[in-house]
Amino acid sequence: MKHKHLITFGGVCIVAWAIGTFLFLYFWPHFVNNIFRKAILDQGFGQSPVPVNMLYVEPQQLFTEPLAAQSASSSPNLMTTGVNHDTLLVVAWLDLSQGLQVLHVPDFSSRYYSVQFTDPFDADFAYVGTRTTGTKAGDYLVTGPGWKGQLVSGMTHIASPSNSVLVIGRILVYSDSDLSTAYDLAKQIRLAPLGQWLVSGF
Amino acid sequence: MVDLSFLWRRNVVADVIQGIIVGGILAFVTFQGIAITHVTATNGWTTIYGCGEPGDGLLLRAACADVFTGPINVPEEAMYWTTKKDSAHQTLSGQHNYILHFPAGQLPPNDAFWSLTMGDAKNRFVPNSINRYSVSDRSGLVPNADGSVDIYIQNTAPAGHESNWLPAPTGNFILWLRVYLPGAAILNGEYQVPPVTQTQ
Repeated sequence: MKHKHLITFGGVCIVAWAIGTFLFLYFWPHFVNNIFRKAILDQGFGQSPVPVNMLYVEPQQLFTEPLAAQSASSSPNLMTTGVNHDTLLVVAWLDLSQGLQVLHVPDFSSRYYSVQFTDPFDADFAYVGTRTTGTKAGDYLVTGPGWKGQLVSGMTHIASPSNSVLVIGRILVYSDSDLSTAYDLAKQIRLAPLGQWLVSGF
Repeated sequence: MVDLSFLWRRNVVADVIQGIIVGGILAFVTFQGIAITHVTATNGWTTIYGCGEPGDGLLLRAACADVFTGPINVPEEAMYWTTKKDSAHQTLSGQHNYILHFPAGQLPPNDAFWSLTMGDAKNRFVPNSINRYSVSDRSGLVPNADGSVDIYIQNTAPAGHESNWLPAPTGNFILWLRVYLPGAAILNGEYQVPPVTQTQ
């Protein structure tokens, strides 16, 4: 019985190692995704929280004066996750258990843009934008898991595997003097519950 | 006082607690090690191919989340490279001057845009006299006579090459290369980002 303590310690250690490794591998993407969820819902771009199912465009000032934004005491987490001076960001956190959502995008002409739909484990399950759908205006119906219904004519279906969806839009900015044009286009990306859209559009 | 004597006591409860702590630390180290095996390193630049795809396996998915700390794009939408090292594996620092040299016709192939962005040691924008935080296909880079492009990465303005200057801080820094709608040569791994070379 001399090695009783060593055997107990070693056995527990190996089990904890195996289970722990799996847990890190499995949950780390979700953990990172959750940081974005909290950043959006708690702080948005620094001015105010962004409620669920609301689309929010990065203020122009954050783009032109990134230093001011990052030195502010209430520096929004969204702006500290990697330097980007190419695209205006649009963010939303969808909760599809509250109902179907309609995404409207305007005509972007030849400008590059994308709207990325990401599930809680970081898989980008759908895109709207230059590469996937082209730059023409369009309406997209976003549905949660297991949805079976009649698609409204003229809409494209985006089926989400989860009720929680991270939405990140990126609109290319050509130059400082182009920023307001890019911003105006970004503002025309709209999100609305299907019921509201059917009654009054955007 | 919190009773920490279980850390050195020898009884069954202490054995179990110590086992969980040591096993947990080993698990985190193993996780990091697995993540690193998915990283592709070329000329000091690192990236991961295949992130964000719905069909990604457990290991690749974890590696992408660990290395990029964000839900990044699928490769067909965008590829990202980062480096903290120059071509001689020395840490990038504003104490030195560097050149990133793209041979003629070797700027990153793309159908949208590319950019090279400066971040300080904490990955934040760097204050500078000309309010320039990145150089890109939109920033008016001037090519050399032979069609190649040199980007001057340094703390003070390079005389005669201001248009191709990416301002660095005085301390350590990191670089981000983004290529949106990357060309086939990037997606098939053929394209290699050139090294960042120290010039003095």
